[in-house]
Formats: sequence, structure tokens, C-alpha cells
Amino acid sequence: MTGQIQNRQAFIEKISQKLKRSEVPSAIEPPQWSYAPQYQVLKHKTQDELLEVLQKQCQLINTSCVVTKLADLPGAVYETIQSYGGGPVIAWQDERFGHYGLTELFNERLPKEQVPVNTWDPAKGRENVSLAEKANVGITIAEQMLAESGTAVLFSYKNHGRAVNFLPEKSIILIPKSMIVPRMTQAAASLRKRVLQGEKVPPCINFISGPSNSADIELILVVGVHGPNYMTYIVIEDL
Amino acid sequence: MKVALFATCLVDMFRTNVGKSTVELLEHLGCEVEFPKGQICCGQPAYNAGFVKDSKEAMKHMIEVFEEAEYIVSPSGSCAYMFKKYPEVFRGDPIWEPRAKKVADKTYELTQFIVDVLRVEDVGAAFDGNVTYHMSCHMTRLLGVKSAPMTLLSNVRGLKYTELPNKDTCCGFGGTFSVKMEQISEQMVDEKVQHIIETGAQYLIGADEGCLMNIRGRAERVGAKVEVLHIAEILNNRMAEVK
Amino acid sequence: MPMKVGSEPFKNRVDEGIQNTFMRGAVSGAQDRLEVKRLQAVQELGDWETWRSLGEQIRQHVLENLDYYLTQLSDNVAKLGGHVYFASTAEEAREYIAGVAKQKNAKKIVKSKSMVTEEIDLNHHLQADGLEVVETDLGEYILQLDNDLPSHIVAPALHRNKEQVQESFHSHHGYEGSSRPEELTKHARKMLRNDYLTADIGITGCNFAVAETGSVCIVTNEGNADLSTSLPKTQITVMGMERLVPTFEELEVLVNMLTRSAVGQKLPSYVTVLSGPRGEGDADGPEEFHLVIVDNGRSEILGTEFQPILQCIRCAACANVCPVYRHVGGHSYGSIYSGPVGAVLSPLLGGYDEYKELPFASTLCGACTDVCPVKIPLHELLHKHRQVIVEKEGRAPISERFLMSIFGMGSSSSGLYNMGSKIASKALKPIIKDSHISKGVGPLKNWMEAREFPAPNKERFRDWFENRAKGGNES
Repeated sequence: MTGQIQNRQAFIEKISQKLKRSEVPSAIEPPQWSYAPQYQVLKHKTQDELLEVLQKQCQLINTSCVVTKLADLPGAVYETIQSYGGGPVIAWQDERFGHYGLTELFNERLPKEQVPVNTWDPAKGRENVSLAEKANVGITIAEQMLAESGTAVLFSYKNHGRAVNFLPEKSIILIPKSMIVPRMTQAAASLRKRVLQGEKVPPCINFISGPSNSADIELILVVGVHGPNYMTYIVIEDL
Repeated sequence: MKVALFATCLVDMFRTNVGKSTVELLEHLGCEVEFPKGQICCGQPAYNAGFVKDSKEAMKHMIEVFEEAEYIVSPSGSCAYMFKKYPEVFRGDPIWEPRAKKVADKTYELTQFIVDVLRVEDVGAAFDGNVTYHMSCHMTRLLGVKSAPMTLLSNVRGLKYTELPNKDTCCGFGGTFSVKMEQISEQMVDEKVQHIIETGAQYLIGADEGCLMNIRGRAERVGAKVEVLHIAEILNNRMAEVK
Repeated sequence: MPMKVGSEPFKNRVDEGIQNTFMRGAVSGAQDRLEVKRLQAVQELGDWETWRSLGEQIRQHVLENLDYYLTQLSDNVAKLGGHVYFASTAEEAREYIAGVAKQKNAKKIVKSKSMVTEEIDLNHHLQADGLEVVETDLGEYILQLDNDLPSHIVAPALHRNKEQVQESFHSHHGYEGSSRPEELTKHARKMLRNDYLTADIGITGCNFAVAETGSVCIVTNEGNADLSTSLPKTQITVMGMERLVPTFEELEVLVNMLTRSAVGQKLPSYVTVLSGPRGEGDADGPEEFHLVIVDNGRSEILGTEFQPILQCIRCAACANVCPVYRHVGGHSYGSIYSGPVGAVLSPLLGGYDEYKELPFASTLCGACTDVCPVKIPLHELLHKHRQVIVEKEGRAPISERFLMSIFGMGSSSSGLYNMGSKIASKALKPIIKDSHISKGVGPLKNWMEAREFPAPNKERFRDWFENRAKGGNES
């Protein structure tokens, strides 16, 4: 359903007038920028080199970076959860978890060890938020990882609740190594490509670079404010 | 090389020695120095305070005085910068804009002239002293002369240099700012003098008498044991000559 | 004027600022650290001047086509099911937002940091309507408890120390913990967590809206904007009308420049791009999304020589290098927009009656212009204000106008100058002592409050030169 727009005409007319034109143009020439420094950053780096950049950056942003093979992924996730003090855990509903071999871990092994794993289920509505609030650890999967800034790109909608990345105190984000890109430039370009091809933008895209922090009190950095206090990226190196 | 010296009103009235040093230095470097007598003031004080119309008469006068010169050299970064702004001030004026541009294009600050035009980095100076250097905002950020002074100072024999903390922070002069916003100006120049004292240097060097008068005045008021000199006075100091 | 901070005249505010030793220590310490970080971040990125040119080009292009992009933005927000309200004035914006709150029967609102909502004085009006409005940005949360106002665009509570925060938490919440920032922050987290979960509406600002997709981008380190927009049922985002970019590609350029310039970060912890209300079937995110686009005087700046100030991306790098801000602090500006950007913007949005001193509280040193990521010629705009104030508005004091016209005369006539400067030392003789002026009068008096003033040289330079040319061998 289309939303309402109010008071636009006079508002826009005033601007057009100030810009010395009789009316707002219905189309303009797409801008051609004279400069493109963003494409030079981390150019020609291999995936291995990008991973190295990512690992270095994670150290600067209080984020653990674990690299593991797909076969060892369940172990890596298990260990991280335990190092974070166990459950409860809340995870997105995502068939990739199954493809990554985590079904057994989520549905059997962890619950058996008194670590409940809840999956975001839109049908449950607001109850999901309560589960996320009670959870100790949130687990999600990034679409891309930006090496330069140590940033996970996450699409939140439907089975991917936004709250999973924000309410629990600890956060685990999985990413295939092949999805590591130099910086936000590449993420923006691929997003834009999808938009221009007619794809709908997810209602919420999060670019997350480490746990929450603030330096609002005397400019002293405190890690862990409203969002998670602890974060681990698990890079699946053979994916 | 014929150089028309633009001495600046501050040097003319309060620091004759800076003018002297500039003339002798340029002559030592092989220039013939003229002093167009009609020169008064670049117009900065009024212009910067927003009185653009009032400053234009002063500017026109300066254009007339200097427009036939080959090179115009000034021992003041801010005054040289003011000359560079003349074309913008007279933009749209069919008579004065081209004349202003002519003058602007051949105007140089002293150290800029020595390094960029005369292509000299060692003027043969010697100075036995521990010095620190204040960068002067108009000269560095606005005129764009960032390295010439240090290049020249680095070749002065016997000179010991200590870097000034926050060396590119404004000293708080700003022309009429120093008297209109005197509370704030005081804080800024005080911090500058404290930083100078911190370096332990005996001399504070600069290339703009506006800044130097401001700093010198405060240093004297607080009893700091620092002498404030213009870079021309250092560069004009030579071992072989007895003054 | 809701943008206004305090009601004291300028000189008093400056005096108060200068006397506030803690604040000055905090500000100069913050400046030194943030500037080091900014320099590190831009050097690491490399080729910063090219980035700045790109940033400037993007912002200028948007302003030159603002009517087009705002139309595109609003169309795309509506396509996503969001509502757009164009507010010409602060009042219209407040009325609309209050209307939404009423319609939703809202009791509690959580807010993430937004300068424009402070500019339109939103909180007070909503509170007058009986709504509880909770600021969730830690610095703003602290300020709100004591009805204090921000002193820095990026670190609003810079003027408060941790003991003051502890005292605030104690008296308002019964907090019994220490003044350690970690503990204070944990306390705020606990208090606010409940607010997020029980709020009816989340109100945010907007760092950049994206015209091509109808998205709004909000940037934080705390995650408070995310919680404010994922949990409450209604989201209202308020934006200054100039705060937009054409596509995601320009978004990433400007976000990158914003965070490096502001605090030296490559990216902050959270860059969140929200497009419309929640999707169909989503279990969190707002059911309803409103975008309020605010003019409040910005359109008057368009098409004038002050238009470049609208390029601002609110990074506060200018404040972080300003030597004036360093000594007087944000509150002295009397406006929520402080520092160099505030000195240019406040007179434009708030008028010369309130803000005529601000453009003069500067040495035009250019440090601000040097660091602006989008190349706003800040010191030149300050100078333009001065020219408008003294020439067009005729607001300079008569004594100053008189002095300046004398200056004009004296410096355009060699005869007058010669006469004046020759008699200067003779005329001043009574007040000269040890080659210094001993008594100050007029502007000299202000100079001499803090400094010595030299007596004119006995021999003017020009006389030395002439004598020498005539053959006199004086050295």
C-alpha cells in the first residue's frame, strides 16, 4: 500500500524557485563524478589478503575473528557459545544454517546440554522479541564482510529479525570467506545493482562493525552500550 | 632582479629592523630592492572586519603603487595573501580586476620568494640560539606557504630548533579580533606563549609581524624569557659580517 | 528560538565559558585526541584531497538539484508504504509529529540523537502533550536528566565529568555505583533497555536519506537507533531537507568521510539503512514509518552566497580544530550548532539579532576550512557574514564605522599617512615609557588588558630606506 505524501508541492516549488528554475525537473542527467578514489582502496587484493586485513581490523574493534573449515564449523560455533557463557541462544531462521551443517548442533547437541536454541519465527510475532531479550547469544549470517572496516552486512526481514543482532549481549556472525570484499564501496555497488534490476531493498540493512560502544563520558571508550557487548565473526574459509 | 619591497605598515611603524633585515637579505641574495614610497596598507584590517567597501580605496592605492613592479615581496604572509585576494575583491570590475590580477600574480611572501623564485635554500646565515617557530595561519593555510620557512631555517648554521606544540594553532591575533574579542584572544595567545615556554627555546620566530606583535606583547606581559624575532632578522644574520 | 542555548548576552556566555576550567580542559583534551585520530584515519585512507573533492562535488550536485531529489525520495518512501510530511517550519514539523503520537495513543517515545529535532524543539512540545520522551544516545540521556543542552555536535556531554554523571544518576535513579564509565554505562543500558521494549514510538534523525531507494541511513556506535527503530510499532525519522544523497554509492562515500572526520573511525559500529516500515510478515521493525522533511530556514540559504554551508554533513571536524571553540566551549555560541559550522549556520537559521557576534568570534585562521570533508569555505563564509553585518545591515557600532572610514582615508592617501605616522610617536610621547605604550585608550585598552603594546619606532622603516638611499650609511 502506498504511503501518504503531504505538503510537497509548495515546499518543492520554493526550492525550485531558489534554484532559479520554473519547476522541478522530471528527470536529470545522472551525475558523472570527476573523482573515484574509493575504488582504489584494497584494490587487487586476494581473498587471503582480504582475510588478513579483516583479522587485523577485528583486533582494533574488539571483535574476535575465528577462521574455520566448513567441516569444523559446528565445533567452532559450539566453542564460541560456550566461551560466551552458554545459552539461551537465538538464531535467524535461515536454510543456510542447514547447508553449513549446523542443524544437529542447534536442534540436538546444544539443547541436550541445557543450551536452548530458539529460531526467529515470524508467526510467533512479538514473542520473538522476548526470546531475543532473554537470549545470551544471537547468531546471524552476513551477506558480505567488509575487510577494511571489519563490517558485517546483514539483511533483516521476515525470518531475519532485527532484534537478534541487538538484544542479546553476545553476537556471533557467520560469513563465507568468498563473501569478503574490500570495503563498503563494493557492498554499495552490489546493492545498487540489485535495486536497478528491480529487486526490493530489504526493510533493514545493518552494517555492523564490532560490538556497541560509546565515548560519551569524558571521551573514555566503553565497549558494550545498548547493542551487544561481545562479538565474534566466524569465517568459513572453504566457502 | 628588481624587487619592489612591500614593507607593511606594522614593519614601517613598529619594526624598522625587520624591514632593514629584509632589504639587506635580498641584496645579499643579489636583488636590487626598491621601496615604492606611496605604499601604506594592504587593507587587511578593514577588509577582514567586513568593511570591504572602505578597504577598497586602500587597495586601489596599493595597486597603483605596485603595478609596474617586476616582483613584489613582503615580509608578511598575511599581507602578501591580501594582495592575492585583490582580484576576487574587484571581481566584475572591468578596470580594477585586471590590474589587481597583475599585482596579485607577482606578489610573494619573503621566504616563498627566496625558495621558489630565487631558488635558494641556504642564505648563508648563522645564528647561535635555541629557536622555535610559529607557523602563522594566513601564511600557511591561506597563502599556502608551508615549508619555505623551515627549509631556510634548517640551513642556518648553529641554529637549534625545537618544534612548538600545536605549532599550527592560531595565536589569536586575527587583526581586529584581538581587540574586539579580547577575552578569547587573550586565552589563545596565552596558550601559545605557554607552549613556547614549554619548548625551552630562547627565541620565537615567525614570518608575520601581526602574530609576532601579539605573541611578543603577551610574552612580555607574563615575563617569559623569550625573544620574539622575525625570520628575516635570523636569515640576515651572517658570520662574516659584523653588525 | 528553540535552537537557542541559554539567554545570556554573548560576552557573558564567553566569559562563563572561559571561567569553566573543567569544560576547557575537556574540550582541549578532546580536540587534541580527536584531531590525532582524524589525521590518522585520513592518512591511512590516502588521497584525502581527492576524497574531499568528491565529497564536495556530491553535496553540491545534490543542492543544485534538491527539488528533484526530494521529489524522488518522497515518491520512493511512499512506494514502500512510508508516509512523508514536508514541514516548512519547526512548528509544522512538531504539529505533525504530535499528531501521529496522538493518533497512536502513544505514551512513551524513545529518541536517537538528532540535531534537527533539537533545532525544532521537539521534546518540549511532546512533553507538554503529556508524552514521556527518552533520549537514548548516552550523552543526550545524561543531559536530559538535568535539562542540560549539548555542547558539541558529536559528543554532546563533553562538558560533564564522570562524577557529575554519577551524581545525576544517583539523584534521579538512586544509582549507588561508582563513577567508572563502564559502570555508569551499564546502568544506562539497564534503564534504557526497558524503555526500548515499552516505547510506542521511536524517533530518529537521519544522517543521509537515499533518494533512489527511499531509504534513510542512521549511524551510531551505541546501537540505540537500531533498538529505537526495531522495537516500537511506529517510527518517525526527522531530517533536515538537505541531508540526502542520490544513491547507495554516494551514501557509502559520505558515511565513510563523516566517520573518519568526526572521530577517526573507518566506520562506526552501526550503519543502518532503513527502507520503509517493516516488510510483510516481519516480526519486528515498525508497522508504520513517517519521514518528516524540515526546511525551517534552509531554503532561504539556497541560491545565496551562503549555500555552501548546506553541504555540511555534521561531522564537527571544524569544531575539533577551532582554537576559539577550544577556549570557550559549545554553550558560548548560544546555539545547538556550535563551532565554525554553528557560527555560519546559526545567524542564517536564527537571525543576526541573536547571532551577530558569532562571525566575529574568529581570527579567520582557516583551520576549519582545511579539515572540512566536503570543502565548505567556512572562514570565507564567516567573512561574508561580517560584510553583510557591517555593510548591508549597518550593524557595526558607530565608533567602529567611523574608525574604518578614517582607515580608508588614511591608507589611500600617502600624504595623510605620512603626516599621521610621522607625528604618531610625538603625539603618543606622553604615554610612552621604555618604548612601550603605558596607558591604553580605545581599542588599545582592550589590547593592553592582556599584552604589552610597543611604541612606534623612532625611525620609520621608510625613512631608514630613504636615508640610506641618499647615502647615509646607517645600519
